Amino acid sequence: MGQHDRYDAIVAGAGHNGLTAACYLAKAGLKVLVVEKNDWIGGAAVSRSLHEGWTYSNCSYVCSLLRREIVRDLELPKYGLQVIPYEGGASFSRDGDYFAYMSDHDALRREISRHSAQDADAYDRFSQTVIRQCRFIRPFLLRNAPDPTSLKPRDIGELLFLVKQAHGLGKKELGETLRFWSMSIGDFLDEHFENNLIKAHIAGAGIIGTGLGVYSPGTAYVLLHHYMGDVDGAIGAWGFARGGMGAISNALGACFEEAGGTIVTGSGVDRFLVSNGRVTGVALDNGDEYHAPIVASNMDVKRTFLQHTGQQHLPGDFVKAVKRFKIRGSSGKLNIALDALPEFPAAPKGAPFLRGDLHCAESLNELERAYDDWKEGRWSQNPYFDMLIPSQIDPTMAPPGKHMMTVFVQYAPYDLEVGGVRAGTNWNGQTRGAFADCVFDKLEQACPDIRSKTVHAEVRTPWDIEQEVGLTEGNIFQGELTFDQLLFNRPVPGYAQYDTPINGMYIVGSSAHPGGGVMAAPGANAAREILRNIGRGGNMTGYAA
Amino acid sequence: MTTPTYDAIVIGAGHNGLAAAATLASKGKSVCVIEKNATAGGMARNTTLAIGIQAPEIAHLLYNLHPKVKKELGLGSARAPLEVRDLPAVSLSENGNHAVIRNGKAELADGGPHPEAAPFAELMRRLTLFAGLLGQLSTKSPPSLEGGLTSLDALTELAGLAKLGLDLKRMGKRDMREFLRVLLSNAYDLILDDLEDGPLAGALAADAVRGAYAGPRSLGTVFTLMYRLGQGGGAQLPLGGMGAVAAAFETAARAAGAEIRTGTGVARVRIENDRAAGVVLEDGTEISARAVLSNTGPMPAMMLAGAGHYDVEAVRRMRNQRCKGAAAKVNLVLSTAPVFTGLNPELMAGRLLIAPNATYVERAFNPAKYGELPKNPVIEAVIPSLTDPALARGGQHVLSVVVSSVPYALEGGWDEAAREELAAITLETLENYAPGISALVTECQVLSPACIEARTGAPGGHWHHAEMGVDQILTVRPANGMAHYRFGPEGYYLCGAGAHPGGDVTGLAGRNSALQLLKDRVL
Repeated sequence: MGQHDRYDAIVAGAGHNGLTAACYLAKAGLKVLVVEKNDWIGGAAVSRSLHEGWTYSNCSYVCSLLRREIVRDLELPKYGLQVIPYEGGASFSRDGDYFAYMSDHDALRREISRHSAQDADAYDRFSQTVIRQCRFIRPFLLRNAPDPTSLKPRDIGELLFLVKQAHGLGKKELGETLRFWSMSIGDFLDEHFENNLIKAHIAGAGIIGTGLGVYSPGTAYVLLHHYMGDVDGAIGAWGFARGGMGAISNALGACFEEAGGTIVTGSGVDRFLVSNGRVTGVALDNGDEYHAPIVASNMDVKRTFLQHTGQQHLPGDFVKAVKRFKIRGSSGKLNIALDALPEFPAAPKGAPFLRGDLHCAESLNELERAYDDWKEGRWSQNPYFDMLIPSQIDPTMAPPGKHMMTVFVQYAPYDLEVGGVRAGTNWNGQTRGAFADCVFDKLEQACPDIRSKTVHAEVRTPWDIEQEVGLTEGNIFQGELTFDQLLFNRPVPGYAQYDTPINGMYIVGSSAHPGGGVMAAPGANAAREILRNIGRGGNMTGYAA
Repeated sequence: MTTPTYDAIVIGAGHNGLAAAATLASKGKSVCVIEKNATAGGMARNTTLAIGIQAPEIAHLLYNLHPKVKKELGLGSARAPLEVRDLPAVSLSENGNHAVIRNGKAELADGGPHPEAAPFAELMRRLTLFAGLLGQLSTKSPPSLEGGLTSLDALTELAGLAKLGLDLKRMGKRDMREFLRVLLSNAYDLILDDLEDGPLAGALAADAVRGAYAGPRSLGTVFTLMYRLGQGGGAQLPLGGMGAVAAAFETAARAAGAEIRTGTGVARVRIENDRAAGVVLEDGTEISARAVLSNTGPMPAMMLAGAGHYDVEAVRRMRNQRCKGAAAKVNLVLSTAPVFTGLNPELMAGRLLIAPNATYVERAFNPAKYGELPKNPVIEAVIPSLTDPALARGGQHVLSVVVSSVPYALEGGWDEAAREELAAITLETLENYAPGISALVTECQVLSPACIEARTGAPGGHWHHAEMGVDQILTVRPANGMAHYRFGPEGYYLCGAGAHPGGDVTGLAGRNSALQLLKDRVL
């Protein structure tokens, strides 16, 4: 065995969390290797050129959750990361009207009043509540989830921090918080608003990426998960990474390599090497073996332990718990190359909100019915989508004068039902085409000329995302964001601090606390735990030091 | 100032109102219960379907009557007689492979061992363990969030919570972790993690959502399942019908010295100087008292006192309460005993469930969300006259059916045609398991959630007066800041299922509210 294949730490998977963890470890002085099955890095934060001249952010497509502490620590702007906020968005109705969302408060009030005067007042109450809840939750993102069964000083300290934060809310707010966390986004919106279009516009954030409906309790929290990010300090704002989401991964990759790290692409992990309860390295698909006393898996917890780890190394209870962890594919995507900007007849020409997120959902019931279809393994004939044309703000995404459109579709089942049989393999050219047609039909509601302006469309189902990226069921969060899978329950009760039953092996992906989205918090938190455990916590630079 | 006529007035003679009255009267307080209907009992009454034939009007089984309430009120003793029979649960399967649940154990209808007996027993072990733990909280006022360590009350509450924490720790790490994982999760996943999606899973899923506006995939349904398992989960049939339960509560209240006036409802609660001072009846009679307890739903209770006596927040919270009833009742008279395929006479008299799998239960809930009737509903049926022949005569039988996931706000409204459609759907579903049953029907009574509201005043016709969702239990039941039974003006209390700990015939809300009233030294 040569010196060259020995490392201090190996990260399996070059997703944004894996790269983040690798950066922190390398900057702390460790010799780190990242292995990646694809020929490119980034996992689900990638920019791909699948039609000549166009760049697709073909998985994740907008940026907000990426923790600014991490951006600062790793100096990502220095490596080319630039996040450009977009403002506004709109929902189009079948009758030719629209509801536009704008970040200017007065303009937004005027727009809401156009639909309902009552709702304009209600919006202020609504956003106060949401912002308050965001402020409450943000400090937890970069901290460990305490183990409530443990009496270790650190766990008790974290629990006390939680109690203190909760106490700081005041008794009235605490009651409201308990309620908010357990409510459905549908009920929450029904309490505030009367206009269906406005409710449908806001509700999307409560379901995106989950296997829940707008009336499923717990979806108010999911809304929070989408709102707790920021762009340049503007909480809840979203933006585009210039050059596509791959810019984030590329910046992380450059930072890592500058810190002395090595990335090997083109061959994935076949199995984690374990000996006497300790991890010793990884064996790749191509037969190469690399060795290190620390191995961190950026794969989701199911893939890590059910596919790439010998079951004899794991306690039975743990395997059972991993099998029970819910990762449900629920969303698909269309990436579309456009010959020209499509017309939106309902909107004023050049309206600024057209540069934001666009939807065609008109009522909460419509969204809930789409969920009912998903439960049965079908896509809805009336799907919900979150559509953006980033090339309006970032012209690097398409050739001059041309545009790129990303359409995130909720819901798309992983195990599609065809003739009574549910299977991921039912996704084939024909079903994929039918799915795309259905989405296009609804897109035409907002932009009737969309089909004629389309020069290329990539259809991505949960099955495709799983095959390409490796996310189980193509779930964007590496696991449902329900309470039984959050905080000290994520991913497995008793192993919620990035550790695993195998010594030296860690989980750094978004299966771990605080969960998914391009946030990088699990990666950074895991790196902190690793460095602490090997007694090099002092070498950590940045927010956590 | 004249002396009030009574120490306390209780509005509504539902079982909780009667429990509150009995509790207060047994402490020597003078109590008067006012009931708008001609008989006491609320949802736990009998109805006469034909000459000599009695059916349980709304509630038809007892499974959560709290032992403390039973003991304190003397229910089942010579003072207030009540006799019950334990019933097995039978989850029907179209292929005749029915699952039977007896004392928390699963078997097959032919007496053979159920292939999933072991995982089912383990699941029930965990759930009843957790249910018992949560049950500690049910006999007291819920812990308030009103911090501060200065008052004795706050300290007592903290001590209660500390005990809960301690007991939680005592379960061992493994069970404690499982408890914290499943507490707020959904019944569907919990059940299917351990069981095949068959009649056994269906029975649990159906029990988790009966009476609730939720499907088993809705988060929070593990909690409602545990709530139902509070006393072990076994169902009991009261001899003499549910009316006998109401009668026992009534007898206990009267024996303790409470007065009960029926036939005229309360028009409003008199509030003087921000204090409850009595009630005005619908016929204009005024009765004064030093305290008033309302067994109505939370919103009706607020309207009786007048929303003007509450702050804006409280009114908003009440208005936003989730209380959409989602269960209907179909009571049938059959000319002779029906035959369910594959059931022996003992099981035929059991609690019959039509919930062939958990997915079926979720599907049955889907239409309710859009104000539609379920095509294939979840059903809980019982033929009480098999166990208690006195309920019927001449060989006839009573079939009492609870149909789940029937929306209160039916699209198009609840008219005669809608009720007939529901009856037809119910019989069609029953036909799959008891061929020929429709031909036996001689009388049919359909009570939609709207009818239940009209008869009992329960908001939305909701069994529990307010949805038992995680957002509406414990410290936030009925609403944030109103969880100590004290309901706005001083001396005004909520004593019904809308208050902690919630619905079912437990008697706890009534008892607890009376104890809180005594503790508050209002009298």
